[in-house]
Amino acid sequence: MNVLTSIVVALNTLANALGWLLFPIGLLPGWLSATLVAIFTGIAMLVMFKYTSNQRAIKRVRRDIRANVLAVKLFKDSAWVGLKAHGRVFLGAFRLLLLAIVPILVMTIPMVLLLAQLGAWYQAAPLPVGEETVVTVKLNGEPNTPMPALELAPSDAIEDLSGPVRVTSQREVCWNIRAPQPGYHRLTFQIDGQIVEKEIAVGSSEMRVSPIRPAWNWSDALLYPREKPFERESVVKSIEIAYPERDSWTSGTDYWVIYWFIVSLGAGFCLRGVLKVNL
Amino acid sequence: MNRFLVPFLLAVLSVGLEPGRAAAYIGPGAGFAVGGSFLVMFAAVISAFAMFLSWPIRFLWRLFFRKRPPKRPQFKRVVVLGLDGLDHGLTVKLLAEGKLPNLAKLQTQGCFRALGSTLPPISPVAWSTFQTGVNPGKHNIFDFLIPDEKTYQPKLSSVEVRPPRRALTLGKYRFPLGKPDVRLLRKSKPFWSVLSDYGIFNCVLRVPITFPAEKLHGVQLSAMCVPDLRGSQGTFSLFTTRKRKEGAKTGGDVQVVERKGNIIRGELIGPDHPLRKDRGPLKVSFTVTVKEKDLAELAIDGARYELRNGQYTPWVSVCFRTFPRVKVRGVCKFMLLATEPEFELYATPVNIDPENPALPIGYPAVYPVYLANRQGSYATLGLAEDTWGLNEHVLEDEHFRQQCLDHDREREEMFFDALENVPRGLCVCVFDGSDRMQHVFWRYHDAQHPARPAEAPTEHANAIEALYTRMDALVGRTMAKCAGTDTLLMVLSDHGFTTFRRGVDLNRWLEENGYLVVDDARRGEDYLAGVDWSKTRAFAIGLTGIFLNLKGKFAQGIVDPEIEAEKLRAEIAEKLATLVDPANGTHAFRRIYQAQKAYRGPYTDQAPDLIVGYESGYRVSWDAAVGRTSTAVFHDNMKAWSGDHCVDPSVVPGILFCNHAIHGENPRLLDRAPTVLGVFGVPAPDYMDGRVLAVEAK
Repeated sequence: MNVLTSIVVALNTLANALGWLLFPIGLLPGWLSATLVAIFTGIAMLVMFKYTSNQRAIKRVRRDIRANVLAVKLFKDSAWVGLKAHGRVFLGAFRLLLLAIVPILVMTIPMVLLLAQLGAWYQAAPLPVGEETVVTVKLNGEPNTPMPALELAPSDAIEDLSGPVRVTSQREVCWNIRAPQPGYHRLTFQIDGQIVEKEIAVGSSEMRVSPIRPAWNWSDALLYPREKPFERESVVKSIEIAYPERDSWTSGTDYWVIYWFIVSLGAGFCLRGVLKVNL
Repeated sequence: MNRFLVPFLLAVLSVGLEPGRAAAYIGPGAGFAVGGSFLVMFAAVISAFAMFLSWPIRFLWRLFFRKRPPKRPQFKRVVVLGLDGLDHGLTVKLLAEGKLPNLAKLQTQGCFRALGSTLPPISPVAWSTFQTGVNPGKHNIFDFLIPDEKTYQPKLSSVEVRPPRRALTLGKYRFPLGKPDVRLLRKSKPFWSVLSDYGIFNCVLRVPITFPAEKLHGVQLSAMCVPDLRGSQGTFSLFTTRKRKEGAKTGGDVQVVERKGNIIRGELIGPDHPLRKDRGPLKVSFTVTVKEKDLAELAIDGARYELRNGQYTPWVSVCFRTFPRVKVRGVCKFMLLATEPEFELYATPVNIDPENPALPIGYPAVYPVYLANRQGSYATLGLAEDTWGLNEHVLEDEHFRQQCLDHDREREEMFFDALENVPRGLCVCVFDGSDRMQHVFWRYHDAQHPARPAEAPTEHANAIEALYTRMDALVGRTMAKCAGTDTLLMVLSDHGFTTFRRGVDLNRWLEENGYLVVDDARRGEDYLAGVDWSKTRAFAIGLTGIFLNLKGKFAQGIVDPEIEAEKLRAEIAEKLATLVDPANGTHAFRRIYQAQKAYRGPYTDQAPDLIVGYESGYRVSWDAAVGRTSTAVFHDNMKAWSGDHCVDPSVVPGILFCNHAIHGENPRLLDRAPTVLGVFGVPAPDYMDGRVLAVEAK
C-alpha cells in the first residue's frame, strides 16, 4: 500500500498543478460552476470513451440489441421468438458491459483526481470570518500511552479560544479557534521540536477548502489531495478542521457529487450523437 | 506488472465500493456503462415480463375472436422461395447432368413441374399474378411501363408518387403541408392479406410489386419498383477525369471531375430539394485521395473508406441535408475503376437508407430498420443490380456479378432470419439476382449471340450454369433450415429465360405499315416525342404492348373504340403474325394476343390492345421499348443485356419444386395463391382465377 500511496501522492501533485484550471469556480455562482464543470466533464469523458473503447464492437452490439428489441415487437405471435430475442438482449447488455470495462478503467484515474479537486471546492464551505471551529490533530501511536507535547503556534490570523484538549484514548488533541481575517492562512503546530502545518480557508466567497491534511493512507490521500499527507513515521497522523457544510442542491456538501454525476451523464448522452460516440 | 496492477484494481474496486460520494467517483464512464447495459437489461426484464403476462391474454383473444379457417391447416408453415427467372428447360438439362443435387432431392421428395407464366411473362405481371391469384385484367399490371393517357409519356405501371397537395411558400422555400401520396397501382388483394384476415402470420420479403408496402398481419419488405433516392429506378454515378464526348448518353449520371495532385473532389447527386421552389438536386461532397495506383481513400459525410481498384466499398451512408434538422438519408457503394491515366470512380444508385427510410419500403415501418440493425445495411432499390452500368460499359462483367452475389447474400441473410422468426405461418422470399444474371450473362451461354465476344472469358463462360448451381446450393441450405419442421417448401420461378439476339422495332414496323407517323428529324427522341398523334393509330411502348390511339382514352386519340378498334386490332395482329426476320427467314412472333380476349376483369381496358408473344431469340428493340423510332425493324442486340423473357409465355415456362407432391394438370403461377390458401385451410376468394391444386398430405 506504501507504493500505492506514493503513486497517489505523485498524481495529486500533478492534479494540484493543473487544479488552477478550475479557478473560474471561485468567480462563478456555485450552481453555474457545478453545471459547467459537469458538462465539460461529460464531454471530456465522452471523448475519452470514444478513443479508449472498441467503438465498432459497441456499435455492432447496440444494433444487435436494437434488432432484438424490434424482433420482440415484430414477431410477437411466437412466444419462443420473443423469448429468444429477450435472451439476446440480455446477452447484448452483458457484452456492452464487458466492452465498457476498458474505458471505465482508463477513465477512473483522471476522474478520481478531478473529483478530489472538485471536492475541495464543493464539499465544504470556508470558515466564515469570526466563526469558531475545532481543529483536531490526530497522533500516531498506541491509545492511552503518553502523548508528546503539542502546541499551536500563535498567529495574527488565528485566535486560540480554548485548548488544547487532549483525548488520550483517541490520541487526539483539539483546539477551539476563530479566524478574524479572510484568506488562506496556515496553522503551525510544534511537536517535540518538530513543526507541522495545516492550511485553513477563511472567508465568505467560493474558496478551495482542505478539511483534512491526511495520514499516509492512499484512500485519504486520494480524497484530500490539496495537502501532502504526513509521512508514516511522523508523530502526527492527520490534522482536521471542522468546516461548515455548503447548503445547495447543486453545489452543496455531498449533493454536488450527485448533481455532477447526473449532469455529466446527461451531457454525455445528449452529445453522443454530435461527437459520434457509441455508448 | 502485477505489483502495480493488483493495487490499482483494488483501488478502483475500493473507490467504487466506498460509500457516500466516493460511489460516484467512477464517474460518467461507469454511468455510460450503466446507461448502456444495465438500463438495457432492465428494459428487457420489464419487456419480457410484459410479454409473458400479455401472452396468455393474446392467446385467448386469438382463440376466441380470430376468424378461423374452416379447415385444419395441412402444414404449420409454408415457405415459398422465389428464384426469379429460373428456366424450366435449363433446369431439366442441369438436373439430368446431376448438377443440381438439392433440387433433385426436392424433386424426389415431392415434385418438379413446369410452371405456366403469365401473359406477358415479365416479372411485374407475373409476381402480381402470383400474389393475387388473378389475371392481369384484375390486378392492373400489364408491363413495367404504361403510357400516360394525357401526355403519352411512359410511367411506372405499379406505383404512383404524388407530391403533397398543399404547401406553404416562404421566399424561395416551399414547405409541404402533408406527406407525399405513394400509391400502389396493383389492384386486387394479395393472398397474404387473406391469410392475415385469419390471423395467420406472414413474412413477405422482396416480392416484386409490393411497393408501397401494404398492411398485413406480419412483416413485409418491398422490392421491384422501389425507387432510388433520385426517384428513378436506378441511376448510377460515374466520376471521371475523362472529357465527356458530345452527345454521349448513358443510363447514369456522368460527372467530369478535376484532379489536383492526388486529390479529386466530386459531388454525389441525391434527390431534388423537397423544400426549394427551384427543386435543384441535393448533393453531398466527397474527396478522393489517390494513394497508389490501385488504392485511394474516400472521405464522405465525415467518414473515410478505403477504395481498392475493382472492389466495392461496404454500404456508405450519405445524408442529404435539406433544411436544419431535415435530412434525407441514403446508402450506396463506391468502386474505384481506375486512377490512371484517367481517374474513374463508380457509385451505385443511392438506395433509400433502410435504417431511415424516406419512403414506405416495409411494413410495419420498423421492419426495414429491424433488418438493417440485424444484418447491416442492404439494397432497397427495386432493381438493385445495376444492369445499366454494365450495358453502358461502365461496369465490367465481374463487377456486375459481384453486385449480384452481394445482394443475394443480403437476401439470404434476411430470408434465413425470417425462417428462424416465423415458425408458423407464411414465409415468402424472392431472389431476383438470378433474373439479372441471366439477362446479362446469357451471351456467354448462347454460342450464336451477336454480343458474344469471339472468345468468352473463361471465368464467365459458365456463368449461367454457375448461377443455377448457386441457386441449388441456396435451396439446399433452405431445406436444411426447414428440416425437422412441419413445413411445405415450394421453390418456384415466375418465368423462364431465353436468348435475346434480335430486337424488333415495333414502332418502325407500325410506321412502315402506316399506323404511326413520326417526324423524321425527331425519331431518335425518347418517349414517343416525335410522334404525330393526329395521324397515329397505333404505337408501341414498354416491353410487349401495342396501344391503339383510342379516342376517349388518349388525349389526342383518333381511333374510334366502337367502330374501328376491333378491326384495327385484328388487322395489326394478322400482319404482325406474318413478319419474318430477313436475316434468317424465321418468324419473329409466336402469337399476337388481343387483350380483350386474353384478359378478363375490370382493368382490361388499361391493358395494351395487343400483346406481342415473341419467338425465342426476339424481343422488342431497345429503341421501341423507350418510345424511339429507328429506321429498321430488326436490329442485332449488341448489349450485355443478352437474355430475356419478354416473349411468348409458352417459350419460357418457369419451375415449380415442392417437398410434397402437387397434383393437377399444368400448374400455373396463377394457381399458387389459391393453393397456398388451401394448404392453410382458408377458402380461396371467388374473385381468384387460379385453381386450388391438391398438395399431398404429410
